[in-house]
Amino acid sequence: MENTFKGTSTYIASPELMQAVDVAIALEKPLLIKGEPGTGKTMLAEAISEALGKKLYIWNIKSTTKAQDGLYTYDTVQRLYDSQFGVEGVDDIAHYIKLGQLGEAFDSEDQVILLIDEIDKADLEFPNDLLWELDKMEFYIHETKKTIKAKTRPIVIITSNAEKELPDAFLRRCIFHYIAFPDREQMTEIVNAHFDKIDENLLKQAMDTFYWIRTIRDVRKKPSTSELIDWLKALMISGIEPERLMKELPYLGVLVKKDEDLNAVRKERA
Amino acid sequence: MFTDFFYMLKAKGLEVSMTEWLTFLEALDKGLADSSFTKFYYLGRMILVKTESDYDKYDFAFQEYYKGIQSEDKLPDKILEWLHADEERDDYDPNKDLYKFNQKRTASEVKRMFNERLTEQNSEHNGGNFWIGTSGGSAFGHSGRNVGGIRVAGTSGMRSAFAVVGEHKYADFRQDRVLSMRQFQVAFRRLRQYSSRLDVAKTELDIDKTIDSTCNQGGILKLEYDKPRKNTVKLLLLFDCGGTMYPFTALCNTLFQAVNKANHFKDVKTYYFHNCIYSHVYKSAECELGDWIKVDEMMKLTDKDYKVIIVGDAAMAPEELYDKTGNYRGPNEGLSGYEWNVFINNFYKKIIWLNPKYHPGFNTAHWMESEKALAELYHMYPLTVDGLKQGIKYLMAPK
Repeated sequence: MENTFKGTSTYIASPELMQAVDVAIALEKPLLIKGEPGTGKTMLAEAISEALGKKLYIWNIKSTTKAQDGLYTYDTVQRLYDSQFGVEGVDDIAHYIKLGQLGEAFDSEDQVILLIDEIDKADLEFPNDLLWELDKMEFYIHETKKTIKAKTRPIVIITSNAEKELPDAFLRRCIFHYIAFPDREQMTEIVNAHFDKIDENLLKQAMDTFYWIRTIRDVRKKPSTSELIDWLKALMISGIEPERLMKELPYLGVLVKKDEDLNAVRKERA
Repeated sequence: MFTDFFYMLKAKGLEVSMTEWLTFLEALDKGLADSSFTKFYYLGRMILVKTESDYDKYDFAFQEYYKGIQSEDKLPDKILEWLHADEERDDYDPNKDLYKFNQKRTASEVKRMFNERLTEQNSEHNGGNFWIGTSGGSAFGHSGRNVGGIRVAGTSGMRSAFAVVGEHKYADFRQDRVLSMRQFQVAFRRLRQYSSRLDVAKTELDIDKTIDSTCNQGGILKLEYDKPRKNTVKLLLLFDCGGTMYPFTALCNTLFQAVNKANHFKDVKTYYFHNCIYSHVYKSAECELGDWIKVDEMMKLTDKDYKVIIVGDAAMAPEELYDKTGNYRGPNEGLSGYEWNVFINNFYKKIIWLNPKYHPGFNTAHWMESEKALAELYHMYPLTVDGLKQGIKYLMAPK
């Protein structure tokens, strides 16, 4: 296989994840990534793009996003406006067709990476509306009677936070990978990828505290990888002694963001 | 090739489709498993399994089908050992004596049922009494109130593909609060009534129609309006915060959060009561005396079109319900608890009662008299995802 994903210097992927990426590329199927927030789902696409040297298109899904938005939009209002003032090119509909991220990815000359981020944010039916396009990698523009077809199939990465159940028909077409929360060993690797030099004792103490907070039942929003990294940065800048971490929980607000969670941690500490 | 494995997966309750199976064979054909057993395991999992809560079923099927391959394979015994791990679960339920469901089952019976469930269960189930899940009365799962059941967990130190299988890392995903929350959220989506279907004024600019009409008039602007499409459902939640509700705090919390996250309601009001609704409802879950409003006032703040959801276990002594002085920690104001409930039930058009302990038809015992009376008064449903769905169906049904 010419396309083999090995992670990058700042993105540490588990062997299973790397295999999943390879399989998705080889079988030309979308890769669906699920996992807790902060497990690096979105970063995966960036890492693949970097590792394989391919351009990345990101389609961020919001609750109001429609499947059509990713393909193309026809700016009728602009055309109407232009027509009233007799602007040149008004008779050419193609002038007013704007491709969305999916359309751009299909239209690209080289193979690209397409990230459909947080697909579960959209309406329940949204994934079903994209079945044909993702299967055939083409779509039809009614206004210009033209078909946009991918010259080389883009590598499609889809992320989901499991806010909504995805439809079965959609799932059947995907390769699925669940990113489990990293254990201590993996976490150490991830942290080392982000910091040039980190005091071993500080890291140990910080990890102890971090995983301890994650075990507290009453903490609703458990701190994730990115929060640990921010916290470590704060700790390194302040130069606080590692031994005091567990006792004093400095800069706790960086790790735990909600009032009730902060109280839960302090209560557990006391 | 491997066709038996396909049927094994089906037998274990995994809904593998033909598309996925063919994809799997194609992947093998392309050599994506690299003749590595571990890679083969992952390859199958990533193509055939589409939710982490099904990883466990895949593991069981894989184990059973390929058990001959590992020479030092002792897994079937291992599984049985895990199924013995009931003693682990006694540590943190202070009220466990209250909820000794089904505890007379023998170990072998429980095991048999566990295997059946594992086969039949095809989604996460939390707060129920049957499937493997959390916070419920089922014999299988976590954080529940069944004493003689199986806690779904497991550890093992085996090697290679079976190491992953044996760890059963994914068994605990059924614990995930987010999952049960999503189930509730999906149910709440049905609680919608769009104003576009009601008889209201056309006040919202309809862009598409405006463009059409304007074009039809040759570019002379013509504005078109439509009825606004907004959810008109207003919700009144009444939560029981009495002592016997303590074991269901997490479950009620999930429901409460699901309502708050749904944010598509026109209005949500929440009040609390202690054991039974009397003349006052409390403004906070602590139910502090004085921090309340009168039921009459609650009715003034809402109107009869509010959909009411009462959440409580309806567990109280008959005198607490029927006696005119039955409220042991507050005023009765001349009416018994039952009369207050009738009063409320008559005011609002649609009310449902969600009961975390409800077993329809099983409330004949003397100490369940109150529950029976309230179940006859209200439309009572168990506080499970299915119960909520049924309840919402009733709430949305035209009178």
